Amino acid sequence: MALTIRDQTAIVGIGQSAYGRFLPDSQLKLGAKALRAALDDAGLARADVDGVAIHLGWPLGVDYDRVAEAYGLDLRWVSQSWLHGRFVTSAIQQAAMAVACGLASVVACVTAISFTRERQILGGPGDAEGTREDGGTHGESPPYGLTAPAGGAALAMQRYMALYGATSAELAAVPIAFRKHALKSPYAVMKKPLTFAEHQAARMVVDPLRLYDCCLITDGAAVVLVTSAERARDLKQPPVYLAGMQGLRSGRDEFIFAPRGLGLNQQPAMRSQPDERDLAVYRMAGIEHADVAGLYTYDAFSPLVLFVLERFGFCGPGEAAKWVQNGRIELDGKLPMNTSGGLLSEAHVGGWNSILEIVRQLRGAAGERQIPRARYLQWGTAWGDAVIFRN
Amino acid sequence: MTDPAKPLPRLTPDSQPFWDALRARELRLPYCTACGRPHLPPGPVCPFCFADQVEWRTASGRGTVSSWTVVHKAWFPAFAADIPYNVVQVELEEGPRLTARVVGLPNDRLRVGLPVVIDFDEAREGVTLPRFRPAP
Repeated sequence: MALTIRDQTAIVGIGQSAYGRFLPDSQLKLGAKALRAALDDAGLARADVDGVAIHLGWPLGVDYDRVAEAYGLDLRWVSQSWLHGRFVTSAIQQAAMAVACGLASVVACVTAISFTRERQILGGPGDAEGTREDGGTHGESPPYGLTAPAGGAALAMQRYMALYGATSAELAAVPIAFRKHALKSPYAVMKKPLTFAEHQAARMVVDPLRLYDCCLITDGAAVVLVTSAERARDLKQPPVYLAGMQGLRSGRDEFIFAPRGLGLNQQPAMRSQPDERDLAVYRMAGIEHADVAGLYTYDAFSPLVLFVLERFGFCGPGEAAKWVQNGRIELDGKLPMNTSGGLLSEAHVGGWNSILEIVRQLRGAAGERQIPRARYLQWGTAWGDAVIFRN
Repeated sequence: MTDPAKPLPRLTPDSQPFWDALRARELRLPYCTACGRPHLPPGPVCPFCFADQVEWRTASGRGTVSSWTVVHKAWFPAFAADIPYNVVQVELEEGPRLTARVVGLPNDRLRVGLPVVIDFDEAREGVTLPRFRPAP
């Protein structure tokens, strides 16, 4: 009989360091601050943590064993992937599954990164990702000078624009919305409003992505503590339950920065509506799209926000650029997204800044960003993985 | 790592015949001997039917641009002098897509659907990169 993961585990503590650029602290120091804050938040002690699920590691961050050694943890379970947005869900899922299966009692998801010190690695000569055997997986093609993940997102958006008539002017609605949210986040790195004119006048980075379509490069740490629902009920904070989840889709129909069927790399060029496998997360959580009070996604590049809406059927193939207009993804819109500003305007903490925001929202502790009566919030990405959280 | 050189393709036993053919100014694709379908990037088996044997056949060299971008930022010092330069994906007549560059056309005339034909870039020692030109 299959074990069901629905509602068996919960997030009971969150913590973070300051977010910023050129912060003086080491990655490990930032992480220590976040872990301490998360333990305090949960009312747990360091000795309670017996597992870590991280998506740091070489080449951009520290590995799990250095984390454990540096913080004096005594672990009986670890999971490590690397610093890609695709592995946010994996880390949460691994943590939840380890707890549900009894392999760990309290798992800390630790993300600590100093992008500003490591920036020469990102897409530059020190970035081994695209040059290893069989290349990178964001469409990198270093011999042609396509060396950074932004290139793959640009290729996807350019094709999307050609197929559906979407424009850079429409895409601007995404970073503008998230900037508005960031202005209400005390943690956000970006402090000034972003106007449509500024977006359109900003320099082109990799056509059609302009400066504000590309995420921030920042430093910071975030920690999430996962334990069993049973234990969660006795702890300090109201539990935020992991109500549903689904994994990362992969295969020849998939390209990491495109919805299925867009026709990037070897994807067939044949769009379709989401099928049961794309929507399993809602079934597991026992909800419909209309129950999702807010959607959070890995917005490394603004097109990914359009693509996640189509991936999960909030709108049809080719409709997202129109769908996001007129404040629809803003705080008082129909479907608020990335309400603390996301990677585009709050900070790039590997996506975990948005996971922390989900938890704050479901605790009713999001201040002026609070989504009224938020019961269910979704984390999901353009490449198909998702977690539904509930309070 | 401050080597300013442009990265070269990393050859594997699976892709070696692809690059060997390019050095002879020929675009070849791996075809499955069981189901007959070609694929890219060159893999160890047929990704469609998982058969073991592939045979290399010369492609027509014709295709269309399925997507494109123009890079304006110097991530690699070695590419700084080339900015702005294009990178495209070409859907070959045979089906698989290839990432490459288009020459002989101003970047502002790149578009999805542009018919192109194969050309060869022998600028680097020992390696020939495929590139494309607008179809005549």
